[in-house]
Amino acid sequence: MIPPVQVSPLIKFTRYSALLVGMIYGKKRYDYLKPIAEEERRIEAEEKKKREELERIAKEIAEASEDSILK
Amino acid sequence: MAKAAQGLVQRLVQRGPELFGAAVTYSKPRLATFWYYAKVELAPPTPAEIPRAIDSIKGLVRAFQSGRLAQLTVKDALRNGLVATEVLMWFYIGEIIGKGGIIGYNV
Repeated sequence: MIPPVQVSPLIKFTRYSALLVGMIYGKKRYDYLKPIAEEERRIEAEEKKKREELERIAKEIAEASEDSILK
Repeated sequence: MAKAAQGLVQRLVQRGPELFGAAVTYSKPRLATFWYYAKVELAPPTPAEIPRAIDSIKGLVRAFQSGRLAQLTVKDALRNGLVATEVLMWFYIGEIIGKGGIIGYNV
């Protein structure tokens, strides 16, 4: 088997520092984005609730004002 | 259709150990080769190598300042570019580990 290449220390060093920097960057960015997304989800849920409430009221009004003999 | 699928599942269950064995015999020598090279080539730098790496960085900066870096052959420049790309990919592997998911930021 061909003997393994002795990789230059510069490449090894930059590789592993890039890995470490990437890990820190990923963690930091995740922690930055997480609360923003949670806030968005919360607002979305609130709006959905409001919309459904309005729809329910509209439906009730429509049913009440409906003059049908089938009731 | 359902019958065919059933047959397939049955055959897979019957031949499962056999297939697993085949997968093992296939990957074993390849993994051995991978480890043989990875142990040397993918190893993190030893503490003794770090000062040498920093010296190389300084040398690289000097080469850039003196314009010697612009006198590389196209072949060498291309090869250096590939190495730089590889190192960049290590950054993305680190990012994947840091954010804890392969696809995007699962927030």
